[in-house]
Amino acid sequence: MLIVAGPAGACAHDGGTAHPEQQGRIFAAMDGVRALGLEDDLEYIAAPMAEMEDLARVHTTTYLNELRTFCQQGGGDLDPDTFARVDSWTAARRAAGAGLEAVAALERLGAGIAFVPVRPPGHHAEADRAMGFCLLNNVAVSAAALTARGQRVLIVDWDVHHGNGTQAIFWDDPDVLYVSIHQWPLFPGTGTADEVGGPHAVGLTVNVPLPRGATGDVVRRALEENAQPTIDRFAPDWVLVSCGFDAHRADPLGELALSQGDFADLGQLAKTFAPRPGRLVLFLEGGYDPAALRGSVTSTLGALLGVNVPREAPTSGGPGLEAVRGARVARDRAIDTVGMESLNRGGHW
Amino acid sequence: MNPIRTVAVGFDGSHDAEQAVHWAARLCATTGAHLKVIHAVGLLEHAGLSTQQPVVPENALNIAYEAGLTPPDVDWSAVDGDPCSALLRVTGPPHHVDLLVVGTRGAGQHAGTVLGSTSLELAEKSTVPVTVIPSGSA
Repeated sequence: MLIVAGPAGACAHDGGTAHPEQQGRIFAAMDGVRALGLEDDLEYIAAPMAEMEDLARVHTTTYLNELRTFCQQGGGDLDPDTFARVDSWTAARRAAGAGLEAVAALERLGAGIAFVPVRPPGHHAEADRAMGFCLLNNVAVSAAALTARGQRVLIVDWDVHHGNGTQAIFWDDPDVLYVSIHQWPLFPGTGTADEVGGPHAVGLTVNVPLPRGATGDVVRRALEENAQPTIDRFAPDWVLVSCGFDAHRADPLGELALSQGDFADLGQLAKTFAPRPGRLVLFLEGGYDPAALRGSVTSTLGALLGVNVPREAPTSGGPGLEAVRGARVARDRAIDTVGMESLNRGGHW
Repeated sequence: MNPIRTVAVGFDGSHDAEQAVHWAARLCATTGAHLKVIHAVGLLEHAGLSTQQPVVPENALNIAYEAGLTPPDVDWSAVDGDPCSALLRVTGPPHHVDLLVVGTRGAGQHAGTVLGSTSLELAEKSTVPVTVIPSGSA
């Protein structure tokens, strides 16, 4: 069973066709869903606006009030990349609310997976600021709602850009494990392997920065070798994926070299991290080439649902294996430096 | 108070940023401090999709030279990130920057709004002293 929460942002938050984070992305993602040919195994649920109480778990009330007022006054450019329009406040709240509904739907069903095709995306948004096309941190809002109920949440972020906002929000939270595989150097400039979490969550941030040209086999190795041991020890109750598709080789905003087949493999790997069915939610983040986005959505969801769809073959042979090893060394050294050697001896958080 | 040895200035190609470079360069020429010109490269600029005027390093460096600095006294860095985050990252520890200088408003930003104001956010969050150069004052 596939739950599609939304879509949201298909008819709002319009930055113009010259801006890559545009409404057409949602149409491409939804075309990707329809290409699966699901009938009874597909359920659409609406995306209501997230309540202020939900947003305030991860964003400051000052920021939320400023953003709302900024939009009500007509909006504008928040930085050289990020815009807001008069309807962006509503669109962003729906994007965040869709994730909450996806989680609730899976809890009702006790099975299936959920996909949240929404915009604006979220993983760059920090507690008190918008950036990188993101206004509200959608995945963080859902994760925080779960941890507020005592759940442990793994966030896997395979967007080509590091999710600085998500990392910062959960930096010192022992109930959230944040794993990011991303191109580096690249915007936003954060995400080095020695960023391992705050004093109450040492080791609960896992970054694997990869060089341009890295292929799918390298990303899988990064997840399996650098992150999976930590994931196994953390034992999450939920797996939320910051599911950007801009690591695709055709994407104009990044230079990694993944294919549709690689995203299918990553999806299946993420599914193994979930403790049981009905605990996996994929949030659309980046992905700016319409054809690559459409095909990657179909490929990823098809693999998760066992639907046989045509897809590009997985890729291999690109650079980055040395970077994966180097990230492991840098991470271990950083953890040791802050005096948490027990982490590597099987200690608990 | 420690002497000012290194000054960083944010540069995004805007007129306000040019004024900030001019002010910072004159300060460095007077004090003998080193000037670091920092340009933050965003998502759109990295992809060649920015609708703003391309940022040319020579535009900033020539302003510094005209203020009396010579090439060893000034350098240029392009840093990934949004302007505020990038400037905070390259001026905070472990970097040794004694003063950060910025213009009032960056390219494309709207006057009169607090949200999205790099200079106000830097003044709030920076770990080093910040000088904001008012428009038209340098």
